[in-house]
Amino acid sequence: MIGVISYLVFFATVASILAIAVLGLNLHWGYTGLFNGGVVAFFGAGAYGTLMLGGAPQPHLGGFEWPWIFALIGGVAAAAVLAWIVGLLTLRLRHDYLAIATFGVAVAFENTMRNAQGFAGGAQGIRGFERPFREFAGNGLGWNLLYLALVLVALVATYLFLERLARAPFGRLLRAIREDEEAARSLGKSPARIRLTSFVTGSAIMGLAGGLYGTFYAFVSPQDVLPILTFQIWAMLIVGGAGNNRGAVAGAFLIWGAWTASGWGLSRFAPVDWQLYAGSIQWVLIGSVIVGMLMWRPEGLFPERVGEDRPQTGRTT
Amino acid sequence: MKKLLLGGAALMALSVGFTGVTTGSAQAQQCTTKIGAVLPTSVDWGRPIAEVAQFAVDQVNAAGGAGGCQIEMVLRDTQVDPKVGVDAARALVDLDGVEVLLGAVSSGVSMPILTSVTVPSETMMMSCCSSSTAFTNLAEQGETKGLFFRTFATTGVQAAVGAKVAADQGWGKVAILYKNDDWGQDMARIIAADFAEAGVEVTGSVALNDAQPSYRAEVAQALSGQPDAIYLALYPAEGTMAVREWIGLGGTQNMIMANSLKSDEFKENVGLQYLAHAYGTDTASPRAESADAFVEAYRARFEAEPTGPGLANSYDAAMLALLAMEAAGEGATGPQIAAAIPRVTDPEGTPITADTAGFAQAKEVLAGGGTVMYQGATGNVRFDANGDVSAPAVIWKFGESTIEEVQYLPLEEVNAIMSDG
Repeated sequence: MIGVISYLVFFATVASILAIAVLGLNLHWGYTGLFNGGVVAFFGAGAYGTLMLGGAPQPHLGGFEWPWIFALIGGVAAAAVLAWIVGLLTLRLRHDYLAIATFGVAVAFENTMRNAQGFAGGAQGIRGFERPFREFAGNGLGWNLLYLALVLVALVATYLFLERLARAPFGRLLRAIREDEEAARSLGKSPARIRLTSFVTGSAIMGLAGGLYGTFYAFVSPQDVLPILTFQIWAMLIVGGAGNNRGAVAGAFLIWGAWTASGWGLSRFAPVDWQLYAGSIQWVLIGSVIVGMLMWRPEGLFPERVGEDRPQTGRTT
Repeated sequence: MKKLLLGGAALMALSVGFTGVTTGSAQAQQCTTKIGAVLPTSVDWGRPIAEVAQFAVDQVNAAGGAGGCQIEMVLRDTQVDPKVGVDAARALVDLDGVEVLLGAVSSGVSMPILTSVTVPSETMMMSCCSSSTAFTNLAEQGETKGLFFRTFATTGVQAAVGAKVAADQGWGKVAILYKNDDWGQDMARIIAADFAEAGVEVTGSVALNDAQPSYRAEVAQALSGQPDAIYLALYPAEGTMAVREWIGLGGTQNMIMANSLKSDEFKENVGLQYLAHAYGTDTASPRAESADAFVEAYRARFEAEPTGPGLANSYDAAMLALLAMEAAGEGATGPQIAAAIPRVTDPEGTPITADTAGFAQAKEVLAGGGTVMYQGATGNVRFDANGDVSAPAVIWKFGESTIEEVQYLPLEEVNAIMSDG
C-alpha cells in the first residue's frame, strides 16, 4: 500500500510540475494567441538556471551554491530574460511563423547545452545538486511529500495568478489582441508591448516549472530539453482546453497519466510476446488519443468560457 | 519508512506468491520474484537489448530460478525520455516492489533514475550500456552507495586500445568523428588524449548529431585535415551514412571503430569491400572454452550473430544481477544483492559459464558457501569500487560471415596500456 502512495506522490509531483508549464503555455496560446513552439527552451532555461546557481562547484560554469529558493528565482529570471530577448526578435511574427522561429530557438538551446561543455556540462548535463530540505525531510517518502506540497503551492499560486489576470482588464486586453489586433490598436493599446509582456510572463512560468523539475531530479541534461517535451505540453493544453486554466491543469494530469499508465498497463497485461513492442504500441495509443481529441472535441475537455461573470463582454470575432 | 516500504514489498510478494500457486510452476517452486528493466524498447537498437536480457532470465528460470524463486522480468520502455524512464523506474520500485533494476541505456536517463529513484529507495541498479564518466565521479563521491554497476567497459579501455591500433598500423594522422552525446563526447575527449600520448596527430574532431539527412559537411570538415585514418565513435545508423559519404568524398579506408559499430547492419550497408582496413575495438571474452557458451546459445535462440551494440553487455547485466540474487538468498534487499556481487565475480572462485548449466552449477557452489567467477559474454567480468567493469580487450575486423579477431589483449595488458595513457 505504501508503495502505491509513494508512486502516487511521485506521479502527482511530476504532473503538477508539467501543469505549471501548461499554464504558462495557456497564457501564450490560450489567452494571447502566441504560437510558442519552443516551450522547452524556457523550461530548460529554468532548469539549467536553477541547477547552475544552486549546485555544487563543477568543472563547468555554475555551482554557486545559492540557497535553493534564490536559485529557483534565478532560474525563473533566466527564462524571463531569454523570453525577453527572443520576444523582441520574433514577436512581430504571426502564428505559424512564430511557431517555427520559437521551435528554432528551442533546438538552438538544446544544441548549445549539448555542445557547450565548459558552460553547461555538455551532453553529460549538470548534476551535483543538493536537493533542499534534505536535512530534516530525509531522502525517501518524507522528502517526496514535502516537495509535492511545495510544488502544489507553486501550482495553486500560478493558477490563482492567471485566473486573476484573465478576469482583470489585462486579460481582456490579451483576448482582444488575440482576436483582432487592429481593433485593439484602434483603441489606443500597444499590442507589441502587451504581447511581449504576455510572452515573458508565460515563459517565466515555464521557467518555474523547469526549475522545480531540475530540483526534483537533481539533474538536467540535454536529453531533458528535446522537442518531445514541447509536444507533450502542447498535447496537454489541447486536450485540456486552450484558454481555460482549469483545463490546462486537467490536461496535464490526464495526458501524463495516460502516458505513464499506458506503459504500466502494457507491461502488466500485454502478452509476453508483445512486451518488446509495448513501447511502440504506447506511442500509437498516445497518438490516437490526441488525434481523437482533435477530431471529436477540438475545444478540449474544458472549453474556454468567455465573460460568463461579465454578461456584457462577448467574444469578439 | 524503509520498513514500511519493505512491508509493502512483502505484501506484494505474498500476493505474487498466490498467483504462483495457482499457475503451478514446473520446478515445484511456489513463488515468483520480479525484477525491473527500463530499456528503450521503442528504439530500433533498444529492442534487441531487452530481448537478450529476457533471454538471460529464461535461462535462469530453466535452471530453477534465482534466490529460490522463478524470476519475472517486468519490462518498461524509456522512450529515451528521462521523465518517462524515471516514472517507469518509480513504478517498478513502488508498485512492483523490485529490488533489482536493469537499465537504462542512455546515461541521461540512467542518471536521474539513479539519483532520484534507486539510491533513495535502496534498489540495486545494473546498467548494460550507460557509459558516461559522470557515474564514476558520482560513485567516487559515495553518492551511489555501492548500488550502481555497469557492464559497459569504461570508454577508457576502448580509447586506449584504439590508440594502440593507430600506433601499430603506423597511422600518424587521425581524424575523429563522434556521436554528439555524452558517450561520444567522452570518447572523443579520451581518445584524443590517448592519440597524443601515442604520438598520433589528431587532425580534427567532428561531432555528428543524430538523425541528420546528411553528414556531408561534417565529413568534409574531417577530411580537410588529410588524415591517414579515421576514428569512428558512432552508432550504426549515422555511422553508415558518414562512412559512405567519407568514402564517396575520397577519404581513406583506414578506419578504427568503437564497439558500437560491431554490427551486421553497418557491415552490409557500407559494404565489406570498403572495410578491409577497418579495425574495431571491444572488450573480449576470456580465453576459455566456456566463453563461447553465450554466442552459441544466442545463435540457437535468435538464429543470428550477437553483434548488435550492447547485446553482450545487456546479457551480462541480467546474468550478474540474477547470480547476485541467488548468492544473496531469498527475499534479499537491494543493498544485500549489491553486496553479493563480489561473491559472483570472484577471480579466485569456481569458473562458471554463461548459460543454464553454468547458472545451475553456480547455485550449487553458492549454496555450499563458495564463490564463483562468472565468465560472461563480455568477458571475465570484474567490478571496481565504483561499479565500473574491467575486462580483457580485443581488436577485431569484419569478415565474410563473422567478426574476425585480430589480436587479443589480456586484462594485464589492457591495464598496462591504460596506466601508460
